[in-house]
Amino acid sequence: MNVKKFFNPRNILILFGVGIALVIPLIFKAGQYTMLLMTTVLLYAILASAWNIIGGMAGQLDLAAAAYLGLGAFTTGTLLIRWNITPWVGMIIGGLVATLLAMLIGFPLFGFKVKELWYALSSSALVVVMQSLFMMWNEVGGPTEKYLPVGTSPWYSLRFNDYMPYYYIMLIILVVVLLVNRWIRYSKLGYSLLALGEDEDAVEVLGVNSQSSKLKALAIYSFICGVVGGIFASIYGYVHPAFFDTSMSMEIAILGIVGGMGFIYGPALAAIVMVSFREVLRASLGSQLAGLYLAVYAIILIVVALYQPRGIAPLVERGIKKAQTYFVELTRGRRADIKSS
Amino acid sequence: MFETATQGIITGILMGAIYALIALGLSIVFGIMNVTNFAHGDFVMLSMYLSFAVGSALAWDAVATPLITAPLMFLFGIITYYLLIDRTLRQMYVVQLAVTVGLQILMRSAALIIWQAQPRALQYSFIQGNIQIGDFQILTSRLFSAVVSLIFIAGMAYFMNKTWAGRAMRAASDDLGAASLMGVNYHKTYALTFAIGSSITALAGGLVMSFQQTDPVGGIRFGLLSWAVLALAGLGSLPGLIVAGIIVGVVESLTVSFFDPRSRLLGVYAIFILVLWLRPRGLFGRR
Repeated sequence: MNVKKFFNPRNILILFGVGIALVIPLIFKAGQYTMLLMTTVLLYAILASAWNIIGGMAGQLDLAAAAYLGLGAFTTGTLLIRWNITPWVGMIIGGLVATLLAMLIGFPLFGFKVKELWYALSSSALVVVMQSLFMMWNEVGGPTEKYLPVGTSPWYSLRFNDYMPYYYIMLIILVVVLLVNRWIRYSKLGYSLLALGEDEDAVEVLGVNSQSSKLKALAIYSFICGVVGGIFASIYGYVHPAFFDTSMSMEIAILGIVGGMGFIYGPALAAIVMVSFREVLRASLGSQLAGLYLAVYAIILIVVALYQPRGIAPLVERGIKKAQTYFVELTRGRRADIKSS
Repeated sequence: MFETATQGIITGILMGAIYALIALGLSIVFGIMNVTNFAHGDFVMLSMYLSFAVGSALAWDAVATPLITAPLMFLFGIITYYLLIDRTLRQMYVVQLAVTVGLQILMRSAALIIWQAQPRALQYSFIQGNIQIGDFQILTSRLFSAVVSLIFIAGMAYFMNKTWAGRAMRAASDDLGAASLMGVNYHKTYALTFAIGSSITALAGGLVMSFQQTDPVGGIRFGLLSWAVLALAGLGSLPGLIVAGIIVGVVESLTVSFFDPRSRLLGVYAIFILVLWLRPRGLFGRR
């Protein structure tokens, strides 16, 4: 690999980001609270990046992230509580169960050409429905929390005393999800998704099966949400129907939109910036008035959506481009110096 | 069995008329402006809180509070329109989603800050009590609310068809370009439309407060219910809206009485999904 080409501003930025993410826990080793917050930030970054596949690329405004997340959490939790099956296996099964639900809903929805607003509404309603179902299903859910056993080995039952392992697990998953994003973006699936996000009818005429493309995107997205749900249950140590949270699902879609739809790193970046900001607000204002931090957060979301409707990723792109031209000029300038001397 | 069903249907019909009124506000905004207001349910929630505030401060009956809350919500609608909605009209569709969802979070947290998390209710309304017909009971407050809702929807139909402002609204919905050439200022018309839609929720909120309590997350349920009514009714038919509201109300009420109170939204979700699959225009829609 060409070393000079590899060290362009974009890759330097990415390496810098990953490096910081790796080192941060060692700096904040004392604060468990901070660790939990950073793990939460990563959780949102993963979900928003997964949303990017169905929302940003395929243009389907999915608001059901928490339905798949909760289903994954309940699958993982129930498998551990009832049959002592390790969450490592449980989260994969949870992901598959979430995908199954997504296919059951998505197959007829896409088949009957339900889209835009109505797709968004039906997916949002799915979260509410899952919550009432698990509220009534007392063996698995019910109104009281079902606690996950700690077990003998923390690595088997995925129950740690501190948040550091969760943080690194989340970080690994985030990197994997971003790579999956990148892989899809430049595959045949990615091109057909981006095209049908723009104009579905035109794509159909050109011979792309839009239904199967959308189903694939939905399957990948719901699988990631389900897997993350398994870790979510482990972090909190219990499962509860409140995991099916409509506000959280909407927030994830907003992060995807604010980040810049279709940009690989956009949603993750938005999640890292906005959710950190939200948690800082919660820490500083939360004690004074319940709900104040959410109000401030909502205003910022609205302002970003109104004044930067294409998201924050294009801003970053512009910055990178500027840096790149500067970089090139710098190297060229050096060459010119050498030639002249 | 038969009696439970009949009782459930009666309750459902009465609730359905109110759902139709709630959905009317959404139907006007969505049908005329093609604006997707995800926060509609939270407009109802805010109206209910305003009713609570007015009702408890002035010791008014819940059903009288819209006299004050409707102008307030009208104002709130105009401010929201010029501050937020107007700027999203020429943007991508998702921007509207992001902005109205942001508004939803904002309203919910504002309610939490001002009125705290515990549910709030007003004194029993002066129209409390039951009407007994054979073995069946009808709550007077619900009957009253249902009748008021139906009268209001009829009045709205008259307004939309017979007055200049109403016709301007429908013209703007049919062809924005042609309407502007005919001298319709669409910013003003849209602001009026949005404000009317939001003051309708004030009326509905006052009526609902006569027999229910309110809490900061109550908006989710009303939002889902009104979208379900709208999907079932389709756009542009006010009688259709009433029928759809009643269907949704009856389904919800029967699920509660035969299955489980916690499952109240399941039946509604089922019809919502089925309508989306089988008849996306709704039962009575013109487009």
